[in-house]
Amino acid sequence: MITKFQVAYKNLQRKRTRSLLTLVGIALSAWVLVSLLGFNQGYEKALNQDIDNMGFELMIMAKGCPYEAATLMLKGGTGLKYIGESIMEDIAKEPEVDKAFPMLMSAVFDPNKGQSGGIAGYFGVDAKSFSELKPSLKFRQGKWFTSTDTYEAVMGYEAAELEQREVGDMILMPEKNVEFKVVGILERTGTQDDGTIFVPLKTLQKIFNRPNELTTIGIKLKKGVDSARFEEKLYKLPDVQVVSLAQVKDTIMKLISTAKVMVLSIASIAILIAMVGVINTILMSVHERFQEIGILKTIGAMPWDIFKLIWIETLILCAIGGILGIGLALILSKVTGILIRYVMPYAPSGGLVLIDLRLVLVTMAAILCIGLLSGLYPAWKAGRIRPLEAIRSEVAR
Amino acid sequence: MPISTKKWIRSAICTEIFLMLLFVLIGHRGAWGAVGCDLNDPDRDVARLFPESTGYKTHYVSVDRKGGQPLLTKIETRLGDKFHGIYETIDVPYTIYEIFANKKGIGYIHGVNQKGQFGGIQVFVVLDLEGRIRGFYIQKMTSRYAGKLRDANFGKQFIGLTIKDFDLYDVISGKASAKVEAIKNPVPEAETDFRAALRATKKNLILMDEFVYSAQ
Repeated sequence: MITKFQVAYKNLQRKRTRSLLTLVGIALSAWVLVSLLGFNQGYEKALNQDIDNMGFELMIMAKGCPYEAATLMLKGGTGLKYIGESIMEDIAKEPEVDKAFPMLMSAVFDPNKGQSGGIAGYFGVDAKSFSELKPSLKFRQGKWFTSTDTYEAVMGYEAAELEQREVGDMILMPEKNVEFKVVGILERTGTQDDGTIFVPLKTLQKIFNRPNELTTIGIKLKKGVDSARFEEKLYKLPDVQVVSLAQVKDTIMKLISTAKVMVLSIASIAILIAMVGVINTILMSVHERFQEIGILKTIGAMPWDIFKLIWIETLILCAIGGILGIGLALILSKVTGILIRYVMPYAPSGGLVLIDLRLVLVTMAAILCIGLLSGLYPAWKAGRIRPLEAIRSEVAR
Repeated sequence: MPISTKKWIRSAICTEIFLMLLFVLIGHRGAWGAVGCDLNDPDRDVARLFPESTGYKTHYVSVDRKGGQPLLTKIETRLGDKFHGIYETIDVPYTIYEIFANKKGIGYIHGVNQKGQFGGIQVFVVLDLEGRIRGFYIQKMTSRYAGKLRDANFGKQFIGLTIKDFDLYDVISGKASAKVEAIKNPVPEAETDFRAALRATKKNLILMDEFVYSAQ
């Protein structure tokens, strides 16, 4: 015996183009919805990953704009003000502190980059503490500097590729006219470290005539320490700004939320369009089968049977459209990520669109609910068709 | 539902499909642009290198797509050296700028990456329709003497040369035809970068010959 599903499926096949266009509408709406929700969770995860990869929870720098400085750091830029190394020694003694890491960022102007020159940045670190800070860093070639004040450099993956350097090659610091021997090249990390050139802290301090000065101190707290309370304690230090990476994350997320609301609005409109498309398709189908429904009722079909039949049509359209849309979102998630990265002023490294099983199921459920809601009116209308009216309408048709 | 609404829905669907295709195209270009050797500011650089130009078209070509391994072997044989490093792999995308003056093609600009003494060098040649060098530009070079090698006077020595002149240039030993031999290194201390610039020029001309001139 033919089931209601089969009848509904056959009905949809009668007007293939119309059904197909409705399917495309639902699929595209599902795609937008899944991609947006995937971006929502992917961006946050990538940002958390970036911040975790930094290896510390708090940063201390000279007074200035902390958010700007922190963003510059995330992007591998430079700090402009300096703090004394003695501050780090004091902080390291605090009982809440697990480790404190000194950093000096410096930039030089390279007149031979393009027509109008460019900036080359260097990152002065203490190899021992820095490797403790970032134990995940792996070397593709070579190793860290042999001493704290040697003229050696470790290059991030992309920096080495851009400059076509291998271990043993030399690099030249423009403006300062100082040569460094490349002793290590890092594996790709997907973070700002990829584009960074690391040199020994003491060497960089000497070159830039900044003895015992730093741009940033990274602080890793002991487990269980209340970061906010310790932050308050650090504010008592003179002429320094304390930046909590959790704060940086919150600020970035707040900025992103505006964009997300806008995209969510666009997605809502797309869903509304799909809903209207579904109502249109099913209503047209009911209208065309006015007489046929009347005959079904004459031979014993109850209003609820007709209602179910029409509702199943909506369900089939939404289920297929939803599956297609989710499939599209999965296939194009990387492309969507690239596009977002292209248009956004700051995007963390790693995948920006994260689509997992939970998201797929939630979206599918949402699409089915919206679809079933859209099908309510046409199904109700079909259920209310009077057999006699339907049969009489043949003359009019 | 009124017909106009249905039309509107259809046009909305078409717009969404168009946007989807646009996403794919932008994503594709972005992925390619990451490793090629492009002009930093194409609009400004094309106007500077080809003053009579009125427009340009950008083409992305790779050895892999043009001829695969046999083409790579042929290019390496002509160069007299193996391709090595990340900027000399078979799938490196080369950006060719086709230059127009009033819709008529008047030449090309093409750049390649080359390993230098202290960092990567980017060497661009400006070619006429016959493949003759009419301009030479080192976009990026890290060296104490970069200024002299990037100077217009050094570049002028390349003007008028073709791939035929560079065919006899041995990138390993430095032996060359009279015309290439005539190119003087303005800074003897920067011999490594000078030789790198010559190798990059030969590689550049071979690639252009294989990608454009031989095809014509």
